[in-house]
Amino acid sequence: MTILPDFRYVRPASIDDAVTALAAPGVLPVAGATDLLPNLRRGLKEPEALVDLTAIPGLDAVEETADGWRIGAGLSLAALASHPSLRIHVPVLAEAATAVAGPTHRAAGTVGGNLCQDTRCVYYNQSEWWRSGNGYCLKYQGDRCHVAPKSSRCFATYRGDLAPALMVLDAKAELAGPGGRRTIPLAELFHDDGAAHLTLAPGELLLAVIVPRNDRLVAGYAKLRVRESIDFPLVGVAAAVERDGPRLVGLRVAVTGAGSAPLAISMDGLESWDDAAAKMLADRLNKTAKLQNTTTIGMKYRRRVLQAAARRLVDGLWEQGTTR
Amino acid sequence: MSVRTLEKREAGAVGVRTPLIDGVDKVTGKAKYTADLVVQDALVGKILRSPVAHARILSIDTSAAEALEGVIAVATGADTPVPFGVLPIAENEYPLAREKVRYRGDPIAAVAAVDEATALAALKLIRVEYEQLPVYIDPRKAMEAGAEPLHADKPNNVLREVHHEFGDVEAGFAAADLVREKVFRFAEVNHMHMEPNATLAEYDVDKDWLTLHTTTQVPYYVHLKVSSCLQVDPSRVRVVKPFLGGGFGARTEALSFEIIAALLARKAKGAVRLLQTREETFISHRGRPEAEIKMKLGMTRDGKITACAEECIQRGGAYAGYGIITILYAGALLHGLYEIANIKYDGWRVYTNTPPCGAMRGHGTVDARAAFEALLNEMADELGLDAFAVRRANLIPSVPYTTLYAQKIMSYGLPECLDKVLQASGWAERRGKMPKGRGLGLACSHFVSGTSTPKHWTGEPHATVNLKLDFDGGVTLLTGAADIGQGSNTMAAQMVKQVLGVDLNRIRVISADSAVTPKDNGSYSSRVTFMVGNAAIDAAKALQRVLNEAAAKKLDAQPDDIECVDEVFRVVGGQHPGLPFNEVVKAALVDTGTITVKGTFTPPIEFQGDKKIKGSAIGATMGFCYAAQVVEASVDEVTGKITVHKVWVAVDVGRALNPLAVEGQIQGGVWMGMGQAMSEETRFDQGRMIHSNIIDYRVPTMADSPDMEVIIVESMDPNGPFGAKEASEGMLSGFLPALMDAVHEAAGVWPDALPLTPDRMLDLLESRETTL
Repeated sequence: MTILPDFRYVRPASIDDAVTALAAPGVLPVAGATDLLPNLRRGLKEPEALVDLTAIPGLDAVEETADGWRIGAGLSLAALASHPSLRIHVPVLAEAATAVAGPTHRAAGTVGGNLCQDTRCVYYNQSEWWRSGNGYCLKYQGDRCHVAPKSSRCFATYRGDLAPALMVLDAKAELAGPGGRRTIPLAELFHDDGAAHLTLAPGELLLAVIVPRNDRLVAGYAKLRVRESIDFPLVGVAAAVERDGPRLVGLRVAVTGAGSAPLAISMDGLESWDDAAAKMLADRLNKTAKLQNTTTIGMKYRRRVLQAAARRLVDGLWEQGTTR
Repeated sequence: MSVRTLEKREAGAVGVRTPLIDGVDKVTGKAKYTADLVVQDALVGKILRSPVAHARILSIDTSAAEALEGVIAVATGADTPVPFGVLPIAENEYPLAREKVRYRGDPIAAVAAVDEATALAALKLIRVEYEQLPVYIDPRKAMEAGAEPLHADKPNNVLREVHHEFGDVEAGFAAADLVREKVFRFAEVNHMHMEPNATLAEYDVDKDWLTLHTTTQVPYYVHLKVSSCLQVDPSRVRVVKPFLGGGFGARTEALSFEIIAALLARKAKGAVRLLQTREETFISHRGRPEAEIKMKLGMTRDGKITACAEECIQRGGAYAGYGIITILYAGALLHGLYEIANIKYDGWRVYTNTPPCGAMRGHGTVDARAAFEALLNEMADELGLDAFAVRRANLIPSVPYTTLYAQKIMSYGLPECLDKVLQASGWAERRGKMPKGRGLGLACSHFVSGTSTPKHWTGEPHATVNLKLDFDGGVTLLTGAADIGQGSNTMAAQMVKQVLGVDLNRIRVISADSAVTPKDNGSYSSRVTFMVGNAAIDAAKALQRVLNEAAAKKLDAQPDDIECVDEVFRVVGGQHPGLPFNEVVKAALVDTGTITVKGTFTPPIEFQGDKKIKGSAIGATMGFCYAAQVVEASVDEVTGKITVHKVWVAVDVGRALNPLAVEGQIQGGVWMGMGQAMSEETRFDQGRMIHSNIIDYRVPTMADSPDMEVIIVESMDPNGPFGAKEASEGMLSGFLPALMDAVHEAAGVWPDALPLTPDRMLDLLESRETTL
């Protein structure tokens, strides 16, 4: 950690002003700054300006309708975890939010910041001295990926906890940009490339996530990590089960820490949750997850535990589904 | 008892739970740490570090950096011709590298500039040409014939080999009913003290004086090394240790950044503030080395240990540091916990191209003890013996006792520690009947109460305390002892309070400022309570004599008949209502003025090891702290995650001078053992440190911390201050094997490598499945 680079600081008071400010080149948004600040201090980014989103009115609001919830991107993770209605109807969000970092991070960090957080890699999240002595890397300032030296893409890994939970709830992202507003499936906010993992266009800003109401759904999130606090997920898996007696109506699974984007695992066409279905889930996880040596704990463990934890999670949700 | 209900007169009395005297300053942010100190116009110091792990330096060009506006001084190895090291027999580290760099991060050059941006820009302008050399991370590779030596005087890269045998180990194994041998691997761990390294160095051009405020446990050693490396008379150096955010052994030797700060200040003719990042603090390292330990034990059917043989290889890092002591300690404390008639030890301390290792809580003894206790538990299990019964079969029969290594044991509370944790944990009822996936484990451990022979022999006392009493009636306690958070300031004040019978707040402690306080060797090897505590008692008794004489004169009595209780002097058994403290002080000052007294302590010669036993100065102590602990843990078979639910730990601390502080030290010791057992490890990728932050170096968090029941056992050591012994290191190592034992009950596997991170645990579970 060292001094911050020089940058301009602007704090727009409206969405339009924020969009205008963000459309300029070399500009980065900031809200809770829990992800951005360490990266700035390590020289991982040298923005011309930071656009502080915290003065925009209503960006931290939660609106509830008959169809569901619109969760403002500026809502803190602590507020998300303690929101009375969300806690009851979509507890998986509190589960995922409380799994993020530690209490002080959650007090400052926001839903939007958590979703849009930078990808991570042991060869990237290092000091300027460390990286320069290693010839930098494909993600930033260099031309070589140290994780996969023959690769032409960056494998830095997405390690957000909220994204998979929101994806299995079939959430959407509401964006504002120079061309107006648009709403996309949350998964489309991401792109599986460690050096450019967000699909936001220049000037585009995540305003909110839209979570549909479905009280028949039971969802959960399993975060695999060494410590019970602070740690990013080694891998994380979220699942949502909709069950009608012996019949599996729907199963959605999404993973984090298993690629440069949070990844949805396609599980359509299942009739029931049984060993064969579990085998299919393991196979698909294996096929979809792109585990790389981007963290200190080896790939073999993360692959094994991702499959085992996903199975345990869905087993539990399937059981829970009967009582609904 | 809550702090608020503490009677003023009671606070600080021996055995009374007393908040540390500087505790409020710390929790309110009033306490100033080194990085908080502001000096007008202080320059910013920065260090250029080697990007390669092993290389010859062909050239260093600092001309562009020197030409940069705002750069006031640039230093290189050319400015530091004198090497340093904590042991006079192994000084082989230069403050700034000369000729070679030996690990990634070795300091090469340093700059002092008007601000941080300029200093960083200057570092980028320094050109260094290297000729790369083979890099050794694995000590076995470094030891191979033909390996490139890191240091010319050690062609096989072995800093020190140790070979000891006591008794007849072969005969001991022959007499055993069961002999087992097993290799254990322990990852390297770091202290992870919360306050990163920092030095504020000020140079007074007029007087050629250097003043350092620095993050150290050993101001005296910093003083010696700064004056030696800068070739300046020690009288021109002053070292002050401000409030310190932990040490745990990381700061028990002068480190390069401190000497570099002094050098820059002198070169720049001003003040230099040199703050180290967390990464640089990890680079300075001095942690517990990675160790491969082959442990062999012989045991009779009823659990008596017949022989012990240990082989230990430590990956020592690039420089000697404390290495010789660490490798000696790994064998020295095979003695002193149990009675074992035959003990053999072979150790190799190896140079590698990694940051230098050093002393860390439980110095050198932790991994060896963990391997011993883990194998003991396995063998007990194999013989169908209870883990407690096996310990009891090997207890030291009576005290005083002299070990084969010439260590004198005057107090031995281990039997009581065992009784207490057995009862508290419900071991007898619960062990072997735990629910699936859950287990209990036991282990014992010990540590020295200070090393009886100092590293630098001077012939001086081990500890000196001065007391000053003046017209105001205030007692100023002057000690060189470094309070590093362990509470030595409070402890010293308590000793004086207890002897004099005064309020704790009458005593002001001034510590660790070489211009004011008497020299102290420093805060390491758990020496301070024992040695400085005894010196403080000695000083207080000297002051008591002066005051009692003055009181006796006024009360027309004999000094020996005077007592002072709650600040009132009386004749024992007399009718006189007594004299208030200030009145006696006034009387005592007549004719003499300000009173200054001194107290000292030196361990008697019989506690300093046996000259006939080479290396026995290490591990020679006045008394061992003893601990027994039971750990309850569960294993998640899906994720491999271990959860520690509860720890019962009983520790013989001789006497708890301040039970509140002792409990905190014990909790911290157990907790640090938990970190090493569960999650902490350094990691290198071809010499590149990839753990240099608190995300990747996994110290346990509050959320991972178990409930802990601390039981204090008081064996009243005859030589300890009011009976006290060490209270913060001895319990650390026991956690490791106790957890391994609990994991065995929970999951049916015996771990042989630490930390037991989920990936290692899952590998173990898998090996169980393949062997079934």
